[in-house]
Amino acid sequence: MQSADNVLDPLIAVNWNRIEDEKDLEVWNRLTANFWLPEKVPLSNDIPSWSTLTRDEQILTIRVFTGLTLLDTVQNTVGAISLLKDAETQHEEAVLTNIAFMEAVHARSYSSIFSTLCLTPDVDEAYLWSLENEYLQKKAACVVNQYKNDNPLAKKIASVFLESFLFYSGFYLPIYWSSRAKLTNTADLIRLIIRDEAIHGYYIGYKFQKALKKRTEAEKLFLKNFASSLLFDLYEVECKYTESLYDRVGLTEDVKMYMHYNANKALMNLGYESMFPKEICVVNPVILSSLSPTSDENHDFFSGSGSSYIIGKKVATKNEDWV
Amino acid sequence: MPMRSKEIHSHQDYHALNAMLNLYDDNGCIQFEKDKEAVRQYFLEHVNQNTVFFHNLKEKLGYLVEENYYEKEVLDLYEFSFIKKLFQRAYSYKFRFPTFLGAFKYYTSYTLKTRDGKRYLERYEDRITLVALTLAQGDKHLATSIVDEIIRGCFQPATPTFLNAGKKQRGELISCFLLRVEDNMESIGRSINSALQLSKRGGGVALCLTNVRELGAPIKNFENQSSGVVPVMKLLEDAFSYANQLGARQGAGAVYLHAHHPDIMRFLDTKRENADEKIRIKTLSLGVVIPDITFELARNNEEMYLFSPYDIERVTGKSMSDFSISEHYRSFVDNSAIAKKKVNTRSFFQTLAEIQFESGYPYILFEDTANRSNPISGYINMSNLCSEILQVNTASTFESDLSYNRLGMDISCNLGSLNIAKAMDSSNFSASVETAVRALTSISDMSQITSVPSIAKGNDESHAIGLGQMNLHGFLAREKIHYGSPESIDFTNMYFYTVTYHVLSVSNRIAKERCRTFLGFEDSSYADGSYFRKYTDKCWEPAFKKVAALFFRRNITIPTQEDWLLLQKSVVEYGLYNRNLQAIPPTGSISYINHATASIHPVVSRIEIRKEGKIGRVYYPAPYMTNDNLEYYLDAYQIGPEKIIDIYAAATEHVDQGLSLTLFFNDTANTRDINRAQIYAWKKGIKTIYYIRVRQAALEGTEVDSCVSCSL
Repeated sequence: MQSADNVLDPLIAVNWNRIEDEKDLEVWNRLTANFWLPEKVPLSNDIPSWSTLTRDEQILTIRVFTGLTLLDTVQNTVGAISLLKDAETQHEEAVLTNIAFMEAVHARSYSSIFSTLCLTPDVDEAYLWSLENEYLQKKAACVVNQYKNDNPLAKKIASVFLESFLFYSGFYLPIYWSSRAKLTNTADLIRLIIRDEAIHGYYIGYKFQKALKKRTEAEKLFLKNFASSLLFDLYEVECKYTESLYDRVGLTEDVKMYMHYNANKALMNLGYESMFPKEICVVNPVILSSLSPTSDENHDFFSGSGSSYIIGKKVATKNEDWV
Repeated sequence: MPMRSKEIHSHQDYHALNAMLNLYDDNGCIQFEKDKEAVRQYFLEHVNQNTVFFHNLKEKLGYLVEENYYEKEVLDLYEFSFIKKLFQRAYSYKFRFPTFLGAFKYYTSYTLKTRDGKRYLERYEDRITLVALTLAQGDKHLATSIVDEIIRGCFQPATPTFLNAGKKQRGELISCFLLRVEDNMESIGRSINSALQLSKRGGGVALCLTNVRELGAPIKNFENQSSGVVPVMKLLEDAFSYANQLGARQGAGAVYLHAHHPDIMRFLDTKRENADEKIRIKTLSLGVVIPDITFELARNNEEMYLFSPYDIERVTGKSMSDFSISEHYRSFVDNSAIAKKKVNTRSFFQTLAEIQFESGYPYILFEDTANRSNPISGYINMSNLCSEILQVNTASTFESDLSYNRLGMDISCNLGSLNIAKAMDSSNFSASVETAVRALTSISDMSQITSVPSIAKGNDESHAIGLGQMNLHGFLAREKIHYGSPESIDFTNMYFYTVTYHVLSVSNRIAKERCRTFLGFEDSSYADGSYFRKYTDKCWEPAFKKVAALFFRRNITIPTQEDWLLLQKSVVEYGLYNRNLQAIPPTGSISYINHATASIHPVVSRIEIRKEGKIGRVYYPAPYMTNDNLEYYLDAYQIGPEKIIDIYAAATEHVDQGLSLTLFFNDTANTRDINRAQIYAWKKGIKTIYYIRVRQAALEGTEVDSCVSCSL
């Protein structure tokens, strides 16, 4: 926004009554209404179900969540922060700090899952694994490198790929479990995260498209090529990462379909056309049906809290309401 | 991963087929046939392969009795030839589950399984026959009627009855318990024990905390000693999570508190999103008891006084929960011996709505409305976990070893619901109602909750039952009537009017047969006939020809004033066997098995997403829905709270207990909208409000394409 080294510039207080981009307010309102903390979800209800998973399945689940923790950490401490200095409006800055904070909440949530369901040595093993898994490290590093890029739009592209593409090989597993009536409360928590990430990816993509309009044709072409080559690189790593996780339970093919679907979504968020043909985006209906970011599922008091309720808008009643 | 090879690699597994119900096909049509295929696959791939085979019925029953799966005493009441005929009768209906969720839910949660939980020992027909044999207690005619009504889908007993009847190792047949808690350590301790005992047996338990002294109240005359109701709630929450019914389901509990209790704001804050862990209540349900005076104060924009229950008891000798606060409000305000504090009344209502937004809770009991229309002598001070039970109770007193000094009466209720569409299709409407009432009465007769003597006593003396209703929306849609339209309200009114007449007739007949009425009949408004005045003084008829035709076409006679006069005479003379008769529960699970829309609510979505611990995420189509009649299946969020309240108000007119009424809002609503709906409900004579549900639409641009439940 303003150059930091020019000390003579006055500091401007953010004014939410003068909105330059309506989308900032809309997204801000949505994000704040969606605020949640992992303590909201009764994860301990999943303890009996956790013990029905085989050892392999448990290890897989812990690793998947550790991988997600790493990505959320990147997004919290590097990603959203690096986008801050490119913000076009002060309101965008506010939204981005909210995004950064919620990423920290997400990263925190996985630890809640671990402390509720797992034994410490297993979790330690998984953290060690996350340090040593070359594909996980590679994809995180690949995105982090782009966050150091001088081109603000390249950063946004990387961020959207992270939010709308890279997370989903991990999200697949809890959704899959919940369709088999396992770890359903954990899935509720993941659905809250998906609800957030859907908005993050959409918002950053929107800001990208808006900024792109002001660029020259040459720059546009450059960015388009940049996006497809980055996606291609990430895709290659992501495939190997997925194989390293899911091969032992035989779910790899299914997860890949889902990856293609999400890669297309990420491109769509950036305003580009899909890259993967329809035939290889046939997402398992069980997963696709669970994705709806609306909160309209029905549940009873015997089963968890659901991912529905939101913080409401307060308006005082008036005299005429009571007559 | 044992299921892998078959289920994951093929995209045609039954979970996937079921999930396709929630995705449009290429022509934008809902794929109903995929769900039918899912049922078929489920039977072929899973149920049939995992069902234990027997050569004949004799071998099967012999084995199940010998291995202690079935209760021998139930079968011994009948000769084998009759039992065999009854099983054959059940099978002759050639029942098929119309939805995947129905079949999946039944086999996952209800049917009898081998002890390792891996193989099925019963089919649906077997379960129904066992329920009938159990409830009929040797009465062959009744057993036959129960089989017919359940398999036709006309009558469906509530989960605990349907799940447990006839099984040797089982929970109770009764689902629902309500306990008073008095202001002493013995009563609190006993309540926690009762909560554990009842949860273990599969019941939902509600407790009334109104009498527990507030935070800072004196103990043994030392000021500022009591820690109030919140720590008691914490203890109860932990008790409920600890106890479960043989792993079948978790314990569940609710606590009710009076709006004028000094801890009310703390009570509500336990459900806040950012509440401290020490006071945060996650799984316990909350209910608030609101009298008329609170609305009056809000209207005048006066502050509301909260009264110390400790002082009320000290000064008057009576518990706070046994008073109409509306009646005594001014005298309590003027009484200097009663400690009190003030809060802003409208802020109280606004806080209520805020918490409801965040958590769906609390439920609301409109205290004065419930008591005004209560035919029974005594006071209603609480409701239950589903807010449809409204009965009177009396306090117990305890010795220091927790034994009873004076045994009071607490509340239990056994429930079962009629499917309105199937009942209207019944060849003999009054006989269908009679079978249902007699089945429920049997449950009350057979139940002995010895672990909680005050419940056992309440049941023995009252024989309270709760006949519910479901599939109202399904029926209306099938008949091409819009939910919430004037015709639908007219139908609801006449349907409940007719059911009420038959329910009372049956209870009167039972009293006559057994020469016995419920305790306190002579003090009820049934005994002096005054209850009947609203039916004998005025003629009740359908206002619309279309509605009259619904009854006429099926030869269902709408009771006349003369009918009511005769019934009144007979009730005054012989009494009623059951103290309470109707209550409209939310009917979750059983309406899926029965393929009905839940309760008398609108559908929550054309394709409902059902999520439960035991079954995961499953998709459920509304009954009678096709791609051609979708216009009659507006969902509850589209219909909005007012029309739902109108329908409930029409039914409330005739129902002696409560009706679980959930209000649905879109996320564009604010707390004022919720408050306005509550005010409207109160004015329309609604007795209780159950959950508040808020649906958040996806932010434009983030929806999943082609998803049925996301499209509005």
